[in-house]
Amino acid sequence: MNLALRDVRRHVARFVGTAAGLGLLLSVVVAMQGIYAGMVDDATILTRAMRADLWLVQRDTRGPFAEGSRLDPSVEARASAVPGVRTARPYTYQLIQREQRGAVMRIALVGLGWPDDPGRSLPLVRGRRLQQPHGEMIVDASLGLGIGESLALGGEQYRVVGLTKNALTSGGDSVAFVSVADAELIAFDQPAEAAVLERQRVVARLRGTDLGRGQPTLEDLVTDARWRAPALASPPVAAVLVEADPHRIAEVREVMRSWGDVSVYSQDEEEALLLGGVVQRARMQIGLFTVILTLTAAVIIMMVMYNLTLEKTHDLAVLKLMGAPRTRLLGLILQQAWLLGALAYAVAFAMGELAFPMFPRRVLITETISLVAPVATMGIVTLASILGLTHVMRIDPSVALEG
Amino acid sequence: MEDAVRALDLTKTYGTGPSAVKALDHVTLTIARGTVAALLGPSGSGKSTLIKALGFVSPADTGEVFFGGRLVVKDGVPLADLAALRRRHLGFVFQKANLTSFLTARENVEIACEFGGKSDGRKRARELLEYLDVAGRERSYPEMLSGGEQQRVAIARALANEPSLILADEPTAALDSVRSRSVMELFRKVAHDRGAAVLVVTHDHRALDVFDVLYEMEDGQIRAHQQERPAPPAAR
Repeated sequence: MNLALRDVRRHVARFVGTAAGLGLLLSVVVAMQGIYAGMVDDATILTRAMRADLWLVQRDTRGPFAEGSRLDPSVEARASAVPGVRTARPYTYQLIQREQRGAVMRIALVGLGWPDDPGRSLPLVRGRRLQQPHGEMIVDASLGLGIGESLALGGEQYRVVGLTKNALTSGGDSVAFVSVADAELIAFDQPAEAAVLERQRVVARLRGTDLGRGQPTLEDLVTDARWRAPALASPPVAAVLVEADPHRIAEVREVMRSWGDVSVYSQDEEEALLLGGVVQRARMQIGLFTVILTLTAAVIIMMVMYNLTLEKTHDLAVLKLMGAPRTRLLGLILQQAWLLGALAYAVAFAMGELAFPMFPRRVLITETISLVAPVATMGIVTLASILGLTHVMRIDPSVALEG
Repeated sequence: MEDAVRALDLTKTYGTGPSAVKALDHVTLTIARGTVAALLGPSGSGKSTLIKALGFVSPADTGEVFFGGRLVVKDGVPLADLAALRRRHLGFVFQKANLTSFLTARENVEIACEFGGKSDGRKRARELLEYLDVAGRERSYPEMLSGGEQQRVAIARALANEPSLILADEPTAALDSVRSRSVMELFRKVAHDRGAAVLVVTHDHRALDVFDVLYEMEDGQIRAHQQERPAPPAAR
């Protein structure tokens, strides 16, 4: 006769209620782990999606994700000329915030080096890659835009032609991909007010110079709405992504490291920069929070198990007096702990399936979490039952005689 | 007649120094199989201490306890596996029945059979409940049973392993006089039908005629030993 199941059967509602409560607690622990895993995955998915062997960024910076990087666009041509390089393409990265249908959208705008990179390496779930250098964009599905929908950026309309899944930044912002030219257009777009103010500043500067005083018609020119100040230099890019022959990557890297204006990172190093810099604090924060939550869960489970055992003190004393083998009584407590753990995990799992997709940040239940969480749960409930087991050992069978 | 249990010169003292209380003061008694004996005495006279010593729950400080002719406790030191002895050869009945609350009436008896190594526990539990006229309540939990029914189930549980000795500590304290007498007669029936020795601690003087032997305790000593009638021979 299984005493543990008999006891559960007698108090099934209370037992299931307790398991449900513990399950909710465990689901929070699992969610914290999942949020952390999601954050790490989000942080690296962008770099992985680019499939670059080497990242060239501004010298002595850890760009383009961990910090800003401004690189002369000529680096692309220079990199392409290095023996062993298959392709080199520009890359820009900027965070923008816009409103669409009344909702705030935070977008990490990535510029792809058209025509070499129309988004070939992106994990598209719907739609297609870029087919035009202007006016098209690929966005993450989390932005809520559908294929064919348009987004106004920098005074232009950009039509969504492809959707990715889980292309997010370490901050959880959705990523949108456009051509580098479009990204620069958006980056350097000025609102009308700013353009007017800029013209007024130019006029003021002209009036203070001999050139302005000698050629007053210049003022008419700069105040004309169609006039744009000539660009003295091409806009910088955030990085240049290099693909090289696999057996010549080290050689290519050595060449590029000798250039005075760039720092060279491998794919792994770029990911490490992200994880070490951008995600490190969040990782520690969530890690500590998870430890505290796990300890809290363990203490609560321990007290629940202890109280469940305390309630049975008299029954256990009677069974002891009847000569019940110690293993049967210890088994009762342990089996109930395991059952409680299994039920609680099932509740946590169900909660995860139902609720995690609705979280604003991605909760990624990795294979490791899926394996470790149930094992850890059973470990915790086993440890948590120690108090109860100790109590069972200490129960004096003569308590039963005292009525 | 074969002795079920024999206690020789048992002493037990609680506390030390001037506050020490002698709960058992050189107590000697023998209970034969097939005998139903009453243990009388005021509160604090040492009855429960004696029951605990005879039930191998809390041994006396000094003295010897023989069980089935074998010395099993000497001067507080167990010479046998006492839990196993309790499991296989002893039955307990308490003041409040003390059934396991999460087991049904049948399961309460069945688990005792299981502890005693009986393979046909369910069948035996049903037979015992039938023998004690509570077969109709076998699926009921203790809290659903009346006090008398609970005591009957407790007695069935005590009989589960055909014990040589049944120890009952004020089993009728919570019952009215009719039920009380009915329970006492059950003990007599069990002792005589099944050859078990039954020792009943009781304050209830209304049913003393049921017992074969009366022991009276006071200040830790067996003061009186009255044998009202010769015990009949064991049925088996």
